[in-house]
Amino acid sequence: MRNTRMWSWGIVGVFLIALTVSGCPKKTPPPSESELGGTGAPGLGSQGLGEKGLAPGDSEGRVKERIAGEHDTSGGGPLRDVFFDYDSFDLSQEARDTLQTDANWLKQNSGTKVEIEGHCDERGTVEYNLALGAKRAKAVRDYLVTLGVSAGQISTISYGEELPACREATESCWQQNRRVHFLLVNR
Amino acid sequence: MKTLDGSGRVRRWVAVVSLLLLLGRGGPVEAQIKLEITEEGGRTLPIAVAPLSPLAEEGSPRLSDEFTGVLARDLDLSGYFQVIDRSQDGGESGGVTPESIDFQRWADLGALALVKGGFLFEGDSLVVEVRLFDVAQRKQLGGKRYRGERRDLRRMAHRFADQIMLLLTGELGPFDSRIAFVSNRGGSGRTKEIHLTDLTGTQISAVTRDRSLNLSPGWNPPANKIGFCSYRQGGPYPYIFDLLAGGQKRLIAAVGYSGGRWSPDGSLMAVSLEQEGNSDLFLLSPDGRVLRRLTERAGINISPTWSPDGQSLAFCSNRGGGPQIYVMNVNSGNVRRLTFRGDYNTSPSWSPKGDVIAYTMRAGGFHIMTTPVRGGEPQELAQGEDPSWSPDGRYVVFSSRGRLRIARKDGRSVKQLTGGGGDDTSPAWSPRLE
Repeated sequence: MRNTRMWSWGIVGVFLIALTVSGCPKKTPPPSESELGGTGAPGLGSQGLGEKGLAPGDSEGRVKERIAGEHDTSGGGPLRDVFFDYDSFDLSQEARDTLQTDANWLKQNSGTKVEIEGHCDERGTVEYNLALGAKRAKAVRDYLVTLGVSAGQISTISYGEELPACREATESCWQQNRRVHFLLVNR
Repeated sequence: MKTLDGSGRVRRWVAVVSLLLLLGRGGPVEAQIKLEITEEGGRTLPIAVAPLSPLAEEGSPRLSDEFTGVLARDLDLSGYFQVIDRSQDGGESGGVTPESIDFQRWADLGALALVKGGFLFEGDSLVVEVRLFDVAQRKQLGGKRYRGERRDLRRMAHRFADQIMLLLTGELGPFDSRIAFVSNRGGSGRTKEIHLTDLTGTQISAVTRDRSLNLSPGWNPPANKIGFCSYRQGGPYPYIFDLLAGGQKRLIAAVGYSGGRWSPDGSLMAVSLEQEGNSDLFLLSPDGRVLRRLTERAGINISPTWSPDGQSLAFCSNRGGGPQIYVMNVNSGNVRRLTFRGDYNTSPSWSPKGDVIAYTMRAGGFHIMTTPVRGGEPQELAQGEDPSWSPDGRYVVFSSRGRLRIARKDGRSVKQLTGGGGDDTSPAWSPRLE
C-alpha cells in the first residue's frame, strides 16, 4: 500500500513539475509535511522535510515563532510526540516505544538538531507547570541519551501550560497537552 | 520607552500638607462608627460621598467626578462600607466645615459617615481639601489637604481612602498602590505581557510590549521595579523592568521560571533557576550575582516569597512527592513543611504582617488558602489562584477565571477588580507608593 502511495505521489510530483515548467499559472500547495514524513521511515534524512518544518537555529527566533503559533503540532518531522499522565513526568511504556523510534531517526540523522519542549495541561498553576514541563523535557532527553542519541543534538525548553495544542476543557484535550513536543532546528 | 504615567514614580511634589484637623480639643474622638465596622461580623458602614466643591471660581465637574469616583470605588472595594454616592447632587452647599453642613440631610439619607471637600487651583498646582465627618455626632474625624498636579488627583483620592480606613479601623488602607499582573489583553491571545492597574481596575497599562511570554511579576520595596520571567530572548530568563527609566534588563543569563523576588530591605533577590530539569532556589545580589544556592535537590523548588523580617522564604517544592509549601530560614538553611492538607499546594505569598501565608490549593478547582506561619489549620478565602497580599496585610488579590479579584482576609468580602479585555492572571500587589 505504501509503495503504491509513494508511486502515485511520484506521478503527481512529475505532473506538478511539468505544470511549472509549462508556465501554467495555477499553483498547487506542496504536500503537507505529515504525508511526506509518513511513519518516520529511516533514510529520508533532512532532505525529506520542507524548509518550513525547521525552526530557526537561534533560541530567540525559535521561541518567537512558537509563541506566535508556528509548529504547535508540527515541526518535528518524523519525530513523534510523547504523552504523560496527570502531574507526572514518568515515561510510560508507550512513550518509551515511541522514543525508541525517535532515537533511531536521530541517530541516523546525527547532524540534525532538535529542541525538546515540555508542556502541561491547564490544570495546574503557572509556575509549577513551567517546572513540570522542564521535568518532562529532561526525562525525554535523558532517555534518548541512554538510547545513544548524542546530547549535543538536543536542547530542551519548557513552555508549561502556555502553548497548548488545544484549548478545550476536556480530558481528551488535556491529554494532548501533557506532552513533549519535538521541534527540528535549523543549523 | 516612555515611563508609564504615575506608576511608582516618587511623588515628592504630592506634598501632603497634613492638617489632621481632629476636632478633639479635649480628648480623643470617640467614634461610635469606628467600632462598628471592625467588629467580627460587622455590617458595612453607610458612608456618603458628596461632590467636591470648587473653592475658588473655576470648577470642573469632571474633577469632582474623578475624585469621588475613585474614592467611592476604593471604599466599596474595602468591603467595610456601603457607599451612598451623592457626588452628582447639584446645588450642594459649598460648606466643608461642621458648622456649614446640614448633617440632618445626610442622616436622612441613612449615612453615618460623610466625606466632603473642595478643590482649587493655585497656578498650576491643584489643591484638594477633604474631610471625614461623623454624621450622628456632627463632628469632623479627620481631614487632609493635598497639593499636586492635576494628574495626581486619582492618587489623592486613593490616599484619602487609605486615610478614612486609618481613621475608622485604626490601620492605613492599601489603595495608594499598584497591582502588576500578566495578561494576554491587547495581543493575539497567545502572547502575555506584564500589565499594571491602579486599585480602581480602570487604569490599566502594559509594561512589556514584546509579543512574547512575560510571566511571574514581583515588586521591589520602592515599587519602581518589577522582577519577572520572560521568553523574549528564548530561555526563559529572569528580568527586571525599571519603571522609572523605562525598559527591561536580564537579571541573570540562567533559565528560571519565577521572576526574581526582592527581600524586604531590597538587598537580596531570591530566584528559582533551572538546570538539568531541576529548579532550585538561589540568592542573588540585586544586580544578578549569585551569592548562595539555597536548595540542592533533584526536584522542583520554585516561587519564593520573603517573610517581612527578611529572615525566611516560603516556597513550593515537590520534595515530598507532590507540590507543597515549605518554609526555609535563610541563615540556617533549615527547612520545614507548612502544608499538609491536600496533595497540590503552590504559589505562596507571605503576608506583610508576617503571621500568615496565602497559597493556592488545587482540590477539584483552585482555592485561595491561608495558613498560620507557625502551623495550623488552613482556611479557604475564595476560589481562585495565585494570591498576593496587600501592603496592609488585610487583602489578597488573586485571579479567578481570567479576572482579578480582591478578598479580605476574614473572607467576608470578595470583590472584582478587573474583567473583560483579556485573561488577567498572576497578580502582584505593590508596596505603598511613596
